[in-house]
Amino acid sequence: MFDLAIIGAGPAGMSAALTAADHGLTVVVIDEQQRAGGQIFRQPPETFAGSVLHPTAGYGWATELIRRFEADPRLTTEFGWSAIGVLHDDAEPDGLCVAINHPEHGTRMIGARRLLIATGAYDLPVAFPGWTLPGVMTAGGVQTLVKAQKIAPVGDVVLAGAHPLLLLVADLLIRDGVPVREVAFAQSIPTPVDMLRALGAVPGHLRMLTETGAILARLVRKRVRVSSRTIVTAARGTEHVSRIELARVDRRWKVTGAPREVAASHLVLGYGFSASTELARQIGCELVFDSPRGGWVVAHDERLQTSVPGVFVAGEPTGVAGADQSRAEGTLAGLGIAASLGRAVPAAAFAEAERGIHASTRFSAVVQSIFEPVRGALGDLATRETTVCRCELVTRGELDDFLESSPFVSNVNAVKLSCRTGMGPCQGRYCENSVGAILASAREQTIGLGGRFSAHLPIKPVPVGDLRDLDAVTEQPASDGSDTGRSAS
Amino acid sequence: MTERYDVVVVGGGLLGCLTAWMAARDGAHVLLVDKDQVNQHASGQNAGSLHFQLEYRMVEAGEEAARVAAEAMPLHLDAAGMWARMEDEIGEPLGVRQTGGLMVAENSGQVGMLEFKAELERSWGLDVRTLDRAELDDVAPYLSRDIVAANLSALEGKADARIAAPAVGRAAIAAGATVRARSRLVGAHRVPTGWEVTLRETDRAGGERARTVRTEAVVLAAGVWTTELGRVFGAELPTVPLALTMTVTSKIPKFIPHLVQHAGARLSLKQSLDNTVLIGGGWPARLMRDANGVPAFDRKHQLIPQSIAGNARAAVNTVPALERVPAVRSWVGATTVAPDQLPLVGAVRGAPGVFVATGGSAFTLGPSFARVLTDLIAGRSPDIDLAPYDPARFAEGSVS
Repeated sequence: MFDLAIIGAGPAGMSAALTAADHGLTVVVIDEQQRAGGQIFRQPPETFAGSVLHPTAGYGWATELIRRFEADPRLTTEFGWSAIGVLHDDAEPDGLCVAINHPEHGTRMIGARRLLIATGAYDLPVAFPGWTLPGVMTAGGVQTLVKAQKIAPVGDVVLAGAHPLLLLVADLLIRDGVPVREVAFAQSIPTPVDMLRALGAVPGHLRMLTETGAILARLVRKRVRVSSRTIVTAARGTEHVSRIELARVDRRWKVTGAPREVAASHLVLGYGFSASTELARQIGCELVFDSPRGGWVVAHDERLQTSVPGVFVAGEPTGVAGADQSRAEGTLAGLGIAASLGRAVPAAAFAEAERGIHASTRFSAVVQSIFEPVRGALGDLATRETTVCRCELVTRGELDDFLESSPFVSNVNAVKLSCRTGMGPCQGRYCENSVGAILASAREQTIGLGGRFSAHLPIKPVPVGDLRDLDAVTEQPASDGSDTGRSAS
Repeated sequence: MTERYDVVVVGGGLLGCLTAWMAARDGAHVLLVDKDQVNQHASGQNAGSLHFQLEYRMVEAGEEAARVAAEAMPLHLDAAGMWARMEDEIGEPLGVRQTGGLMVAENSGQVGMLEFKAELERSWGLDVRTLDRAELDDVAPYLSRDIVAANLSALEGKADARIAAPAVGRAAIAAGATVRARSRLVGAHRVPTGWEVTLRETDRAGGERARTVRTEAVVLAAGVWTTELGRVFGAELPTVPLALTMTVTSKIPKFIPHLVQHAGARLSLKQSLDNTVLIGGGWPARLMRDANGVPAFDRKHQLIPQSIAGNARAAVNTVPALERVPAVRSWVGATTVAPDQLPLVGAVRGAPGVFVATGGSAFTLGPSFARVLTDLIAGRSPDIDLAPYDPARFAEGSVS
């Protein structure tokens, strides 16, 4: 059995792995991507020319962290494998079994005494008319395509949402020669000072205060319209987006006027991020609703242990707070896990790790307060015809009718069961926010009281045949602690 | 002012909703309460089988156990007829399809079991026919070539466990019942006209408050919570909780019209009207318990790796096309059986006006349970002999 299995090789997972290994733990790190870095420092495939990572200014530490992680012979890594669930086996009462799956190689079971969930975050999905049309993308997705795959949209682009990442992506696109027509923010004008303060904790970037000015200058020079108190109410087109409707909103993001149209072939949305908590949900960890911190986040104690003994959490699943904080939490989790396994961890090490978190929290708290999405208003963007659950093709109208006819329903899982919203392959990642907001509005209750979707193994679909291997013997670390257990990369 | 009802039904599963609906239709003033949400637990978590043949769990323990289990056949036959009429009476789809159920056999031992079972079932009036391989080629070409025979019961099939209870809940409201979620029964005491019960309710702001209501009759339709609720009324209602595993696939074109069970393995599978395939059959999961070993039904029960694997193996061995179909989720539902595998149905001894039904196929048999409960509430004598299901049969000195 490994001492520690880490799910996710982003800033939190990498720093936790190195810290744990420094304290003598056997560590396996599982990530569904091909290389370390997580989404924020997603590296181009090794086969690409110029596949060197260029982290944004302010994250110079990333290059060094990835280099140390990739070069560390003590770590076992499983890239290209998805963690599909964590199970308890009576035969191994002191450990957990992590089920991992690969599209070609099937299912394997890895035994570990401790688990660290460092699964990051994903773009907050928002349902409005036309959001499922080809050409509608998310800011994080576009950033990944441009930076890791060297693919940029073709044609005119409108960026809309509420998150400072939009500025960064607009800049990336402009540098790539993509015509950006408009960048629309739903907030009432974030002052330049707000923006500058905020950019320090974006889970995608930058402490680069000076560079922000340069971005704005480039946008102005390219005659890009940057609007505030403006929200996208629809994406129009037949086979593909061709027009975007933008409307003025009030302070609470309620639409106040008739929309105007902007011709564009792509709409890039950036309303912020949702913590990736499916694995924590599957395991049975307690979650709390904290809107500024990314919605449903994993509850934990001061050493980042969740409500499930032996299961720890670090990075965005504790609350979306950016790469600096993720890295700091990874270190603290690594120390806490080592201590929980009886390793001697000096109090000074804990104190330093906590200082690191404290420092990054100053930035992230600012971002969270300025850029918290107005979830109720976002829920109202969906009209009766809007598909809310794109896996199961459930419309807002079906949800409204169900809620009206079933007054006894006040929980999102009851909506899920009756309406199938969240029952498809994405297990609700795409629609939970919309369903939660719509339910809260219909019942005049808080989103938190409506609860959150449960998640189940496999948290990403695998063939029925691959479930047959869930009772396979769990894999052990190489006995000499060297890198013989390391998978080919 | 204290609210007054003729009947308080505790438990918003299928059985509770059906009982509330039938009693309200009878003219009673009905309150249905659930501590969580309607359909949140076993009724919404089970796979919606309508199985009237004896199940694998009833025959795996031997012929004598099978004969005892067969005593519930009058309830099964009654339920089969009621399911066939239910959508018309409710006025909404419930996903009911009685297009036949197969129990399949892979070897001569299992075929012998099928023959024994068919004879026993026919003696109780269930129409069952054994199909040979040539007939299966025609009737069920999706089955593995290793399947050599199957028992077909034309009455079997499925209902949609996702939607059935809420639909019946809506019908209950239309018939005049009040339905309240997040309302937990926490206390009861006798009053001259029946019972005064205390409900702890959660309001829209998340706060809690107590509500007191008076009622002439109380129906416990609370599945795994039956034993706990029985104590509130001073009654011992022994039940055994079972945590079971189920798996559902993504949607695939229709190819399985039957409910499929296995004579030699824990397997039950069917294709839902949504085109997903539901796979179950009684594979155990780990029931969570508190520090004292008492089942903690409000916690998330745990999957057991061997159960998911074993269930998937049985499914793929029986229907090979499932091997590459994406599985979307495996989950655990907790259900109830009585110590002797027969349900508990009837009046609760020592608690006048309190009635109970649970245990053993309460989804499939829900309509029949609800009908006899409604008769008992109204003081009518049910047309099914409830003696074998007497809730007091486990009490000391019981003569049943």
